[in-house]
Amino acid sequence: MESKFTEAHQKLSEDGHESECDKIAKLLDLMIDGEASTEEQSYFNTHIEECVPCFESHQKQKLLKGLVSGHLKRVIVPESLALSIKARIQETV
Amino acid sequence: MSEQTGKQLSKEEKDARFEAELLPVLDPLYNFAYRLTLDEDDANDLVQETYLKAYRFFDYFEQGTNAKAWLFRILKNSFINEFRKKSKQPAKVDYSEVEGYYNSDDVEGEGGVASTTDMRTESVQDLIGDEVASALNALPVDFRTVIILCDLEGFTYEEMAKILDIPIGTVRSRLHRARNSLKEKLEKYAKSMGYNS
Ligand SMILES: [Zn+2]
Repeated sequence: MESKFTEAHQKLSEDGHESECDKIAKLLDLMIDGEASTEEQSYFNTHIEECVPCFESHQKQKLLKGLVSGHLKRVIVPESLALSIKARIQETV
Repeated sequence: MSEQTGKQLSKEEKDARFEAELLPVLDPLYNFAYRLTLDEDDANDLVQETYLKAYRFFDYFEQGTNAKAWLFRILKNSFINEFRKKSKQPAKVDYSEVEGYYNSDDVEGEGGVASTTDMRTESVQDLIGDEVASALNALPVDFRTVIILCDLEGFTYEEMAKILDIPIGTVRSRLHRARNSLKEKLEKYAKSMGYNS
């Protein structure tokens, strides 16, 4: 039943909470990427309502994703690129 | 009307269909190429090569399927096969240049930079973007790739697995390690944002 998760995560409470927080840590990426199943979501949400460290980990992971999706500037495509692609395609038989 | 294989199409029809279906992906594709090569000329070449390959295989592309994922996959393979050797090394990150700015009184304690839109805030936004870019560019290319595909382009794990030719489990573990690595790089900056306080 208990799956061992080898990577180190945040410190866990001493009272046998360990394996549950480990499971939550494994679900973090799935949650922020919208890849968690309905069951995983409710398991996750129930847990973080009561567990502050896991709640905080979730906040941090969301913030990290938001830094990339919201702040990384897109580079502008050179205007000549579409034209040269079209030109090269037209001369391809 | 001809069959969907495209083999019966005239060259003009084929070209028109090619442009209509695949050129809209130019912007994300160029951005992906730039994040892989970290060089505008290399990105330009890589994207051109990708479109030429796609054109050659366009008869095998099923209309209505995921054109974006298909092109990303071709580009990523071209990058690995031919481009990786000659592309430039990732830029080194120098936090000291921006560190002072973030630690200054101007931005400290705001608790969030997105709330106002004055010029000063916009320049802070620019700096955040620059900082994220530097941190990302300093990651190994495999890590950079999964973060771009997932967080910037919004591909699903399944699409990423197809683009990268790796199992979904590997997508997940690579993404997890990539984020840990990015987190480390951004640590100083993050602290100034109250991220770790
Ligand atoms: Zn917990």
